[in-house]
Amino acid sequence: MSNENPSHRIDIVDVGAIDAPTDKTLLSALESANVHIHYHCREGFCGACRTTLIEGEVEYTTDPLAFIDDDEILPCCCVAKTPLKIKVPL
Amino acid sequence: MKYTTFNQESTNPLVEPMFFGNPVNVARYDQQKHAIFEKLIEKQISFFWRPEEVDVSRDRVDFQKLTDPEKHIFISNLKYQTLLDSVQGRSPNIAFLPIISLPELETWVETWSFFETIHSRSYTHILRNLFSDPSEIFEDIVVNEEIKRRAADISKYYDDLIFATQLWQTQGEGIHTVDGVAHTINMYELKKKLFLCMNSVNALEAIRFYVSFACTFAFAERKLMEGNSKIIRLIARDENLHLSSTQHVLNLWAKGKDDPDMAQIAEECKDEAREIFMNAVEQEKQWADYLFKNGSMLGLNKEILCQYVEYIANQRMSAIGLDAPFDISSNPLPWMNSYLNSDNVQVAPQESEISSYLVGQIDSAVSEDDFADFEL
Repeated sequence: MSNENPSHRIDIVDVGAIDAPTDKTLLSALESANVHIHYHCREGFCGACRTTLIEGEVEYTTDPLAFIDDDEILPCCCVAKTPLKIKVPL
Repeated sequence: MKYTTFNQESTNPLVEPMFFGNPVNVARYDQQKHAIFEKLIEKQISFFWRPEEVDVSRDRVDFQKLTDPEKHIFISNLKYQTLLDSVQGRSPNIAFLPIISLPELETWVETWSFFETIHSRSYTHILRNLFSDPSEIFEDIVVNEEIKRRAADISKYYDDLIFATQLWQTQGEGIHTVDGVAHTINMYELKKKLFLCMNSVNALEAIRFYVSFACTFAFAERKLMEGNSKIIRLIARDENLHLSSTQHVLNLWAKGKDDPDMAQIAEECKDEAREIFMNAVEQEKQWADYLFKNGSMLGLNKEILCQYVEYIANQRMSAIGLDAPFDISSNPLPWMNSYLNSDNVQVAPQESEISSYLVGQIDSAVSEDDFADFEL
């Protein structure tokens, strides 16, 4: 099941879809797929990579300290738990 | 209500608002209304650093190589940052501590201000290294018109809140005449002043440092003034955390998760909050103009710097529920990101030390002996 799944499909609104391996953060996965989003701290305290989560679930690898709204995630410190649909600020 | 340093009444901080409830009595953190503030304290303390850890001695040589316009850019930015941290090293304490009602928030504000004092000391560390007598630089901060104009705008909201709080705490609600001027003091006015002040501080942490940061990192991209850049990176990391805290406060209010009065004020004063932010953006653009008045520096000019200010303003405004007003969607200075990145994820091997754990980690003096046990 999902535990054995090494990657999840990420739908990025207006950009396309990528496969995100679950052994690195969503931000790194997006970067590897050439989707460059804004970032600063890369450890969840600044909020620069704040992204809208439309569908799916993520798991935080580091407790996010920056403010995030209920429908937002910080890709720098989470991995996809399920396939996701996200909207990145472009 | 008179301020007391140890409120003898039993209070329940779990039901107090962040501000303008009962004064804090016991500094306890076993139970917290807003646990985020203790997490911010822990994070901030893990970032502890001392200016003396960073070796800036090579910057003196680099500085002599800069052109006159570049020297103007470098020194003016240091002056401006000295002003910002002079304000931030004291004002959150003086303005917010007397009206805070939660122990975790009280300690966060103290921790935050303390780190701003480290920043202030680091500017002296940088300037002492560049000039045998830096007093001329410091003395100019209070006479330089460009800097004074910014200082007035930054301290205005703090001073307003502090004065109103003093009247309230000594004379209570009512209309009080001081030096022939009548001041209306009631809870709504106090909370409104607090809201505007918090927005002004948020804009300061979100925008005001970034023109200076960009110039510093543009020098570093050319391998110039790298000791200074290392210090500014540590400062930028702290400022990002401080920004998170003001964003949390503003959002807790706006989303009705703290004080219902503040939720109402946030709605009513949305335009004023927006105006504060837009003013900060405008002033930063004017600052860029002043910096480049004598000529540009390699790798950076006024236009691109203004675009960068708009770009981060969009992001920081949407983080507090305001519309992103500027038509710019891609980062005009992408290399800034790598300087603003927390150290432990640096991609370059020479940068991969985790500076949040290390002390005395930066040593720019390398002698031939250091490579004695290397073989190719």
